[in-house]
Formats: sequence, structure tokens, C-alpha cells
Amino acid sequence: MATTTAAITLTSADLLTDALSLSATKTLHKAGSTVGLDQTTGMTKAYLTAVTQVDIFPPLIEGSIAFKNKTSWVYICNESEDETEYAIVKLSGNVIGKLYGGDFLWMPWSMAEDADADNKHADIQLTPSVATGMWFTWCCINEGTEYPTSV
Amino acid sequence: MATTTATITLSSTDLLSDELALSTTATLTQAGNSTGVTQASGLSRKKLASGHATYTLFDGDDYTADKAHKLYLKNTSTTASEYFEIIVNSEQIGRLYAGDWAFFPWMANASTNDIKIDPSADDMILEYMLFTDE
Repeated sequence: MATTTAAITLTSADLLTDALSLSATKTLHKAGSTVGLDQTTGMTKAYLTAVTQVDIFPPLIEGSIAFKNKTSWVYICNESEDETEYAIVKLSGNVIGKLYGGDFLWMPWSMAEDADADNKHADIQLTPSVATGMWFTWCCINEGTEYPTSV
Repeated sequence: MATTTATITLSSTDLLSDELALSTTATLTQAGNSTGVTQASGLSRKKLASGHATYTLFDGDDYTADKAHKLYLKNTSTTASEYFEIIVNSEQIGRLYAGDWAFFPWMANASTNDIKIDPSADDMILEYMLFTDE
């Protein structure tokens, strides 16, 4: 069993009247247990050169998503140093938010099938704001990844 | 202008053959510029008392689209099987089990783009904070 931890620190001396100094650390466990996560896609570094929406993890098959409601954690970072450049992050075609240059996200991913039944599965989608090239890093740490059968 | 930073550290010595030691720091800025975010909800706690009802944490109608909102969420439970389901625009994003935290941008791009929380048990406590630039 692997031990993987995710920690966050949120700090500010001047956002509020009082100093903000928040920390949280968590060992990553399989769903509903204290068994450590043992699989990962590895860290991807990608240079996206089109404003085209891409599916950043292996395609999921509607109706048979093997790891639905298991634990998966997703890290995405927009490595751009231009604060005007962003990427729209979607799940199943629904906008979650924009990652501007330097921003990251860390969120759980249930791989639950699309509630709108518009054939988006549970895909995590990324759309860069410019076609001049943007660097991203991303990874998924989870209980397992469903790979499509080769044809 | 306030300066607020978020640092994530992912670490493991045995998930892979090589050590995982990732650390990324982001300064929370307004949408499309380098000015720091100026507003926050404050660190809050909410007990979701009974019935496991889905609770609207943030209503998309109350926030402007295309801003650089950032949301921190934490499940304070210590019972491994208890989780909060995070729902955005009626889509299930993922589950926060006991002690888990998440940090992600929120676009509030439509009135339907609410952040909703669905607890798996009674009396679970969610900790949260929203950073905004409006």
C-alpha cells in the first residue's frame, strides 16, 4: 500500500484584517477506506497549440465506467506565465472554472456518468484560450484507470 | 492589493519507483490580470444536519461569470466512509471522504452553475472558503 499525501497551504497577510494561514494535509485513500491509493497516470506535461477542447484522461465508456464512484484525484496546472491566458476546465461538458496562468486545481473525480445524457461521459476537458501554445501539467492518482480496448 | 497564495504539495516515496515530490504555488489573482483577489467568504463551517439533502453552497446567480473565483472545501469528518458529494451544475464532480480537501476554480458562468454539496450521513461538517475578485 502506497502512502501519498496532498497538502495545501493558503496564506495571506493582507486579504483579511487577520492573517490567513490555513493548512490541510490528507493521505490519499481508496473510497471509504484507509487503504492508500496505488495507481497513477503519471505526470503529463503537454503543450497545447489550439483552442480545441481536449479530453485529458483516457476515454470513458458510457454505461460501463469501471471506476465510477471510486476515488480519483486530479491535479491540473496551467504553466503559462501570461496572466491573460487561461484554460476552461469542464466535466461532462459542464464548466467548472478557468485556470489562469500559474493557477492549479486539485479535485476529486467520481467518473460519474453525465447527468445530461449528452454523451460526454465523465470526461475532464480542457480548452486553452489561445492557439499560440500553452504548457500544462496534469496527473490523476486513483484506484484505477479504464483503458479502452484496442481495435 | 492583497497577496494571497495557495501552495499544493503532493508527495509519496512509494507510489512510484521514483519519489513524488510536487510543489506548486499560485498567487490568487483577478481574472486576466496580475492584481490579487480582494474578497473572500471567510473560512466557514456548515453542519449539514439531517436528511442527507443536497445543499446549495454557492448560487451561480449570486456571482459574476468570467471571474477568477477559487473554492476551498474540506470534509472534517474522521469516519473514513463518510463523504460529501460535490456537484456543479447538476453534474457529480467527486467525493470528499473524511479529511479530504479540494481547491479548484469556479466560473459561475450560469445561474445553473451552483456549487452543491450532498453529504452521505447526518451531521457532517463541511469547511469551506471562497476567494473572489468581485
